[in-house]
Amino acid sequence: MRRHAAVRMLLHDRSTTAGAVLGVIAIVFLVGQQLAVLFGLLSLMTALVDNSGADIWVLSRNAGTIGSAGSLPSRYVDRLAGLPEIEWAMPVVYGGGQLRLTDGTYQAVTVVGVVRPAMAGGPWQFARGSSAELLPYEGATVDTFDLADLGRPVPGQVVEINSRRVRVAGYTQGSRAFGPPLVFTNATKARELAGLPADRCSNILVRLKPGADAGASLRRIRALLPRADAITSSELAGNTIVYNLTSTGIGSSFGLSTLVGILVGVVIITLTMYTNVINRQRDFAVLRALGARRRDVFYIILFQALTIGAVGLLIGLFLLAGFLFGVRGSRLPANLPLWLPPAHVLLTFLLCLGGSALALRRALKIEPASAFR
Amino acid sequence: MEPVIRLEGVARDFSDGRVTRRVLKETSLDVMPGELTVLAGPSGSGKTTLLTIVGLVLKPSAGRITVAGADATGLTEDELASLRLAKFGFVFQQAALVPALSALDNVLIAGAVQGARIGDAERREAVRLLTELGMAGFLEARPQRLSGGQQQRVGIARALFGNPAVILCDEPTSALDHESSEVVLAALKRLSRDPNRGVVLVTHDPRVFPYADRLVKMEDGAVVYDSRAATGGT
Repeated sequence: MRRHAAVRMLLHDRSTTAGAVLGVIAIVFLVGQQLAVLFGLLSLMTALVDNSGADIWVLSRNAGTIGSAGSLPSRYVDRLAGLPEIEWAMPVVYGGGQLRLTDGTYQAVTVVGVVRPAMAGGPWQFARGSSAELLPYEGATVDTFDLADLGRPVPGQVVEINSRRVRVAGYTQGSRAFGPPLVFTNATKARELAGLPADRCSNILVRLKPGADAGASLRRIRALLPRADAITSSELAGNTIVYNLTSTGIGSSFGLSTLVGILVGVVIITLTMYTNVINRQRDFAVLRALGARRRDVFYIILFQALTIGAVGLLIGLFLLAGFLFGVRGSRLPANLPLWLPPAHVLLTFLLCLGGSALALRRALKIEPASAFR
Repeated sequence: MEPVIRLEGVARDFSDGRVTRRVLKETSLDVMPGELTVLAGPSGSGKTTLLTIVGLVLKPSAGRITVAGADATGLTEDELASLRLAKFGFVFQQAALVPALSALDNVLIAGAVQGARIGDAERREAVRLLTELGMAGFLEARPQRLSGGQQQRVGIARALFGNPAVILCDEPTSALDHESSEVVLAALKRLSRDPNRGVVLVTHDPRVFPYADRLVKMEDGAVVYDSRAATGGT
């Protein structure tokens, strides 16, 4: 009956209830959408690391992130391959490039050069062709997402990157990263495009044998290559995220908009719940006079807050699902990790409770004697 | 006969933070079962303060309250709320129904404010009370669809729900026309005939006096006339 009364009160005060539900929807949708895009961007930032198949990355000293300036001697690859716990070690070449479009303008690209047989650090999903397309000297792939930006080159078409010939041999599908479009090619071509000497590479990717101790291996690699840096893939992914979030303003921008979404929602919920209690002061006083304890009033308001939260969540998550469905396959990266929706639900309920705190404070102060005034 | 409520030397002070004012001077009062007691007096005479103390809604600053022989003076706020729920029914000025609830739910809420389950028996009882008060055709009506007299009858049904030992009425006819007042007062008079129940009614309307079994007049926070004392009753 208390719950019934709580719900009837909500339905009776339709406008204030609608306002509170709107506040929750704002929280769920705006925050969810911001986080989905942020996590989409984060997954792009670490895409090259996550899809490299490597356990350890060897970088030039103090580079810290993938593709940073600096290079390593290619002979390091052979020294690493000699360690017993290492399954393979592969060089990879990164370089910036300007792809010349048919209209004479240029599009910035990131060139990634890989070597056979593992093609480690190379494309991870193809729309047309395979890794074999990278083997010929001029062979390269571009991603279907970037076709429009790159002037829609067709397979077999020769394009210019940094005034050098490259033949588009295949299309990748979703092999994208944060920043300019990726063009995958072989390491030899990539060195030519990036202006890197034949005996140098950007990074070396290392796969450990199953059961190998990563910590011990790292120590051995560092001892073996004192002029280079070796870190695990997860460390590198973390470094890359931190670097991009702090140096590009993405972190503050998304953090701010997420915070604004939360604040807007909390303010709306707080004001509407508070107004609701102010309007219902006499009702609560009467209930108290009839025998309701403070905790019974607390229960009613809590139930109302959670009901508003549940309804707002349902609508908000529905809208969020629509958004994610809408941007699926588009250029806008959006990705909700599995842990995020439950965390989002929990956060929303906590915010509803937080938003109703002022109303609760007010309601609990209502004296039963005020029903007689 | 044992009084349902006994007040011994109760007083109530109010303070605005600087000045403390005694709005109810030491007062003793017995509420007897089977009796309609009318507390009358002008505005500010302390009659509503006395009523709220009788109803355990307001704690007295001094004095002792006994409910059905048990001392209620030192009870906690929650214990007082539970005692109110068990022993008291309240009829407020202008009914004070919850506008979001139907007439039937407004009656049922009186039994459910502490979370008790409402079953078929409780529902039947609420329907019976409303029917007895002539509200059978308005069970699902919201208060705003009811006239003042009808709302007050729902308020009386709510006060009766749970068969309380005392019914306390705060100016129940103040917002009603003459005809509706007659209906409500007749209903309260009928209820006071129950030998297990006392009714206390606060009013400043002299038209209510003829319904009183006992008339208590108040002025400036003190009882200035008690018909029982005047007639030598106990």
